[in-house]
Amino acid sequence: MLRFLGLVMLGAIIGAVAALLAVGFVAVVLWLNDLLLISPRSRMMVESPGVLVVATLAVPALGGLVVGLLHRGIPEQRPHTPADVIAAVQTRRGRLPARAGGLSAVSAMVSLGAGASVGQYGPLVHLGATLGSQVARLLRLGRSNDNVTIACGVAAAIATAFNAPLAGILFAHEVVLRHYALRAFAPVAAAALVGHVIATGVLERGALFHVADPALPAPWEFAVFLAIGGVGALLAGAYLHAILGVGRLSQALPVAPALRPALAGALLGLAALWVPDILGIGQETLRFATIFGAYGSGELVVVLLLKLAATALCLGMGFSGGVFSPALVIGTLFGALCGSLVSELTGAPLETFVFYAVCGMVAVTAPVIGAPLTSLLIVFELTGSYALTTAALASVTLASPIAAQLFGRSLFDIQLRQRGLDLSAGRGRALLRNSPVCDHLTRDCVALDPVTRVAEAIGRLSQADHGEGHLVDRRGRYLGCVTLAELEAAREGGDGREAVGRLPLRQRPTLSPDASLWEAMQLLQEVTGEAIAVVDNADGERFLGVVYEASITRAYLRRSDEMRREEHENG
Amino acid sequence: MRTADLRGLVIGCLLLTTPALGDSDPAALTVLSWGGAYERAQRTVLFEPFAEASGMAVEAARYDGGLAALREAVASGEVPWDLIDMTRSEAMAACDEGLLETLSPTLPAPAPDGTPAAQDFLPGALGRCAITHTVFATVVAYRRDAFPGRRPTRIADLFDQQRFPGPRALQRTPGANLEWGLLSYRVPREELYELLSTQRGLRLALERLDGLDEIRWWTGGEESPRLLADGEVVMASGYNGRFFDAMLRDEAPIEILWDGQLQEHETWVIPRGSRHPDAARDFIRFATTTERLAEFARHIPYGPARRSASLQVTTHPETGIDMRLHIPTHPLNAEGAIFKDEAWYARTRERIAAYFEDWLESR
Repeated sequence: MLRFLGLVMLGAIIGAVAALLAVGFVAVVLWLNDLLLISPRSRMMVESPGVLVVATLAVPALGGLVVGLLHRGIPEQRPHTPADVIAAVQTRRGRLPARAGGLSAVSAMVSLGAGASVGQYGPLVHLGATLGSQVARLLRLGRSNDNVTIACGVAAAIATAFNAPLAGILFAHEVVLRHYALRAFAPVAAAALVGHVIATGVLERGALFHVADPALPAPWEFAVFLAIGGVGALLAGAYLHAILGVGRLSQALPVAPALRPALAGALLGLAALWVPDILGIGQETLRFATIFGAYGSGELVVVLLLKLAATALCLGMGFSGGVFSPALVIGTLFGALCGSLVSELTGAPLETFVFYAVCGMVAVTAPVIGAPLTSLLIVFELTGSYALTTAALASVTLASPIAAQLFGRSLFDIQLRQRGLDLSAGRGRALLRNSPVCDHLTRDCVALDPVTRVAEAIGRLSQADHGEGHLVDRRGRYLGCVTLAELEAAREGGDGREAVGRLPLRQRPTLSPDASLWEAMQLLQEVTGEAIAVVDNADGERFLGVVYEASITRAYLRRSDEMRREEHENG
Repeated sequence: MRTADLRGLVIGCLLLTTPALGDSDPAALTVLSWGGAYERAQRTVLFEPFAEASGMAVEAARYDGGLAALREAVASGEVPWDLIDMTRSEAMAACDEGLLETLSPTLPAPAPDGTPAAQDFLPGALGRCAITHTVFATVVAYRRDAFPGRRPTRIADLFDQQRFPGPRALQRTPGANLEWGLLSYRVPREELYELLSTQRGLRLALERLDGLDEIRWWTGGEESPRLLADGEVVMASGYNGRFFDAMLRDEAPIEILWDGQLQEHETWVIPRGSRHPDAARDFIRFATTTERLAEFARHIPYGPARRSASLQVTTHPETGIDMRLHIPTHPLNAEGAIFKDEAWYARTRERIAAYFEDWLESR
């Protein structure tokens, strides 16, 4: 009980620090935007158009250069993102490194400050998570507690950045932890609450959406909202694949990785001379997209496509930043487009225009981050409007499952799958897949030279109290295994002087040294015996040792037990 | 007729009390201020008590804003004024040009309860060269009898001709009109100037003005209360003090719509080259005490720049009206207030004005 209360207190402290970090992060980005002539206000205050052109071209490119150089300090040469957080929590083996986390946060600040078309929430989530992980390391907490402190940092960051504590709590459970254990809930809730209190005191920002009038959508409009969800899922898929596609293309570019963000920045600046709306986080674009008549339908299409392309370019080429804010902008533009089309069809200005904008927004954002409930709660907490949340629910009902079927649970899951961590079948399998079987390798077995006589082999097996012997030749090559029963049968049939190598050998499946616990469990379904041999096929079928079936089962049960405890214990 | 008489009287008084610039008493402080009821209140609440306390007479000279005269005077080395009552945006520009003395943020006295000035003053009130003494507002006022059964409650109602029909009087400047135009789309106040910094934002704001059938444009502050009082328009923009004056003196059926009020700071500055800079500082310290600010707001409904003073404002000395309800910074009135982005205006004034004039011509 005391330990549990301590964890809740720790959650609150992590929440406070994460919230202050988030506030500082946002303030630095806004300050840089003003200083570097990215924000509309600062651009307006520049008298000479020439200065503005130079700044628009130079700032994103130079920002990209700085980002590229910063990323050279990270072992993977890329910024860390929420995907890394999910991987660390889901596999229960990762601490989040302080250096990579810090550098990623700084490079995200530079990216956002220099006007790259990326989001700010991803870096905030990662920053909060890194903080949580470092605290756990400092206090030498165990794995399950490590996961909880990470979730606390994440929840506080979201609660602060959106000023939406419920969404923060839910996001930590829905996206990062992927379970709803009460044990994790209390510390995470404490963190989110503290973050919220700090945000209300410090950050003065307008809510993302305002509901202009108490106008309620007509019943038929809910059908349109559903449809927006369906089409929005496809748009979300296009967005995901554009980001991943540019990422693949950039690998093939004959440009040093450190210079790629600079190249993307230069292209972005060039496009922004024509459409400045695509620069930066896109707060103003988002706001205008919720106003009926601010954009014509043609303009909406142009800005939507350019924003999508700009974001794919920036993220694919190595700028550091999130995917959520651009998805907000793209989704809202898409919703506004749907609203405009409906208005043209009905021939009347739309009273419920903001409903369409919000439906488009959740239809794109929910699939991208793989969090339908969090997206709904964000709408609810930011607007306080039940009507708007219901409309968003209609949209997300189709959007999330369609996108999950066609593309995957979220961008993070797709990225992790490409890195070899498949979470699509749940955490249990991912966990087993990431537990190497080598941990249970032992040489405590009977290795027999093929020239050994049968009688001698029986003696050695009996002495060692084993039922199986493994035939390994002089060069260490694995040949197969014989059971005590087979040897006895051979002695019965002959005189026991035969060499074991001459016996008909049973071909049993073997394990490679990098095999996972999951693969070992699969093998157990076909093999009956005492142990499975581990053979390095790359190194001329060299015999490394065996893994006893009992230890595989024990490891499996232990993993399941750990997970069960983490996900189902109350305190 | 009563108004005209009063006005004549005011101007008469002004002529009597305003000394010619050349022959001001060398031992007196010369203050540049805005004349009219405003200056009368200053005379009663600030100038005379200061003279009594310090033994140094205070003389007022008439000022209508602008920096040209100050620039000239500083360049010539002959600065006839010791203090100027200046809007903050002009004070910012003048400070950047080096026309003003710098002022220490510790110059104003602490509040009576000991709260340091820095915490007692409104945010941004203590500038490098200027100290805010009051906050005034540009507001929309309407005739109570124009819309039977309903009254405007939000700034968007200024543009709602269906529910509130009738001509409007607006100031012939982009200021306030652009803010209200965009605010009527219910964008958050915090983002107003970011959004007005885009072509799209400016266009949307002017589209709102385009939607109004009849606009009477005014330029002098006294015009709009008169248009409203005479029934020529049903809604008008103007300065909150002028509307209060019209309600009080003319008993005009006017009500102020506080939503969307555009607040601006009015400051004390000391021009570089003032002959009595130390006495001028003494005056600022005296004039910005909690007690004097609260007293000033009893005479004319401009919001004191100190929180402690706002709490102490009481009734109008002649009519007994509760003045707290009429000052822009009262919590009830300030709920939907916009804080004028003076730095933004200082840098963009000419371009925005040109854009606005182009639109006016095309209208």
